[in-house]
Amino acid sequence: MILLSGVGKTFRGRDGGEVQALTGIDLRVAPGEFVAIVGASGCGKSTLLRLVAGLVPVSLGRIEVDGSLVADPRADTAMVFQAPTLLPWADVLRNVTFPLRLMGKATRETEDRARALLAKAGLAGFETKLPRELSGGMQQRVAICRALLQQPRVLLMDEPFGALDALTREEMSLELLRIWGETGAAVLFVTHSISEAVLLADRVVVMSPRPGRIADIVPVELPRPRDFAQEAHPAFHAAAQRIRATIYQRGAAHAA
Amino acid sequence: MRLSGPIAIVTLFLLWEGGVRAFGIPEFLLPAPSAIWTDAMRIWPTVLNHTLSTLQTVLLGFAASVIISLPLAMLIASSPAISAAIYPLLVITQSIPKVALAPILIIALGANELPRVIVTFLVAFFPLVVASVAGLLAAPPELIELARACRAGRMQQMLRIRLPHAVPFVFGGLKVAAALSVVGAVVAEFVGADAGLGYLIQTSMAFFRTPLAFAAVVILAMMGMALFAIVGLIERILFPWSTSAQANIPAA
Ligand SMILES: Nc1ncnc2c1ncn2[C@@H]1O[C@H](COP(=O)(O)OP(=O)(O)OP(=O)(O)O)[C@@H](O)[C@H]1O
Ligand SMILES: [Mg+2]
Repeated sequence: MILLSGVGKTFRGRDGGEVQALTGIDLRVAPGEFVAIVGASGCGKSTLLRLVAGLVPVSLGRIEVDGSLVADPRADTAMVFQAPTLLPWADVLRNVTFPLRLMGKATRETEDRARALLAKAGLAGFETKLPRELSGGMQQRVAICRALLQQPRVLLMDEPFGALDALTREEMSLELLRIWGETGAAVLFVTHSISEAVLLADRVVVMSPRPGRIADIVPVELPRPRDFAQEAHPAFHAAAQRIRATIYQRGAAHAA
Repeated sequence: MRLSGPIAIVTLFLLWEGGVRAFGIPEFLLPAPSAIWTDAMRIWPTVLNHTLSTLQTVLLGFAASVIISLPLAMLIASSPAISAAIYPLLVITQSIPKVALAPILIIALGANELPRVIVTFLVAFFPLVVASVAGLLAAPPELIELARACRAGRMQQMLRIRLPHAVPFVFGGLKVAAALSVVGAVVAEFVGADAGLGYLIQTSMAFFRTPLAFAAVVILAMMGMALFAIVGLIERILFPWSTSAQANIPAA
């Protein structure tokens, strides 16, 4: 379980000025829950994930995973960064197995599982290719496989499908849901797409900018397993409508 | 390997030969390649011995540069404090003319191979250190963050992210160091040696055997080119991903 209470983050800029990226974040994510985060650019979504990942320390409040305070990156947390972030010198297979090898957790079947994951992501036959030989979308899929291979208890995904075309995006979304169903990881999933958030998540966290905070948390009352036919479901529209209203109302308030 | 390199060199020699003949340039000023060749071939075992002697100094000096520069670069890249302490010392070694240093070393260490190797090392190692440090520090912060997310400590970040990322930079430095090793070896031989191509140049000129001196110069140039090519070949074989990344390296 992920627990954030009263979390705030202030960055000190190079010029000595301070940027308040996040303030007063309270959020509780149950084990195996899928939570999507939407919000305008710069409202602190990536920062929130970095805090939970233990990559940057909180300025205020506390973050716990499974009852222990997050101070450093944890072995059971995996992150998909906003950019693919692949090792340019390693081939696809070695990129995918890199975290496990780095943590000394690679076993004999690691490579087989990696191949299977890559095949599911439509990357069979690309195992020995270098990242620069792949398209941007393919690189991002490699990065997603890399995180999934760790079988994390907490999966942090920062706009993982941002670089994918609409078709691959839908395919990957469903595949992600299937794998998530098998592993039961708690997922924090940042996206710019409201429909993607609603389709994937149990709850959608809507954030508002300057300083970044939670404006609304929208539960999605759609049955699982999800598929794209549910976009016609009234509950889908209700959730999407509520999210849009929150974002728009904030935007309007700002403009006024 | 493309053909344009060899063609350019052959053309150069042909122009040289033609020019010397056409303008009737005297041999003691600029001998023609054919004259250089005949003179060198007349005493080829001697020339070969001098070549091997220089090659030994070059290779030992180059090896010393590699063995010392890489750990030194990792040390410098590991902390700003260490970098601030070591870099000025390195710059000092570079500001001292090696020609001035060589006689001192020979007096201190004796007229043997060691001072020559040290001079070669001193001439060759600095660009290698600078290029390697630049490569180690240029690792993208996202990759460092990825390693941190996988619980990698500073040492692991250095070995698993920074070092591989620095490979193209290191090879850029190695190519410069290979060429400079030849320069360093000759500088050392000029000052104190009884063998080697530098020594051959000096004795030939003392006896007005200009073609032989030119032969030594040509062999030195070929030695530099061969070392440069071998470093490039090793890079392509061992680190095939590296050569394409070369484009990002500023000229050393
Ligand atoms: N390392 C940092 N140093 C200083 N300021 C930072 C740093 N990281 C983020 N910020 C600031 O924090 C705020 C939130 O940034 P963040 O990257 O979390 O936004 P985001 O919601 O992920 O935006 P996007 O949707 O564009 O990715 C921004 O104002 C940004 O300038
Ligand atoms: Mg972001």
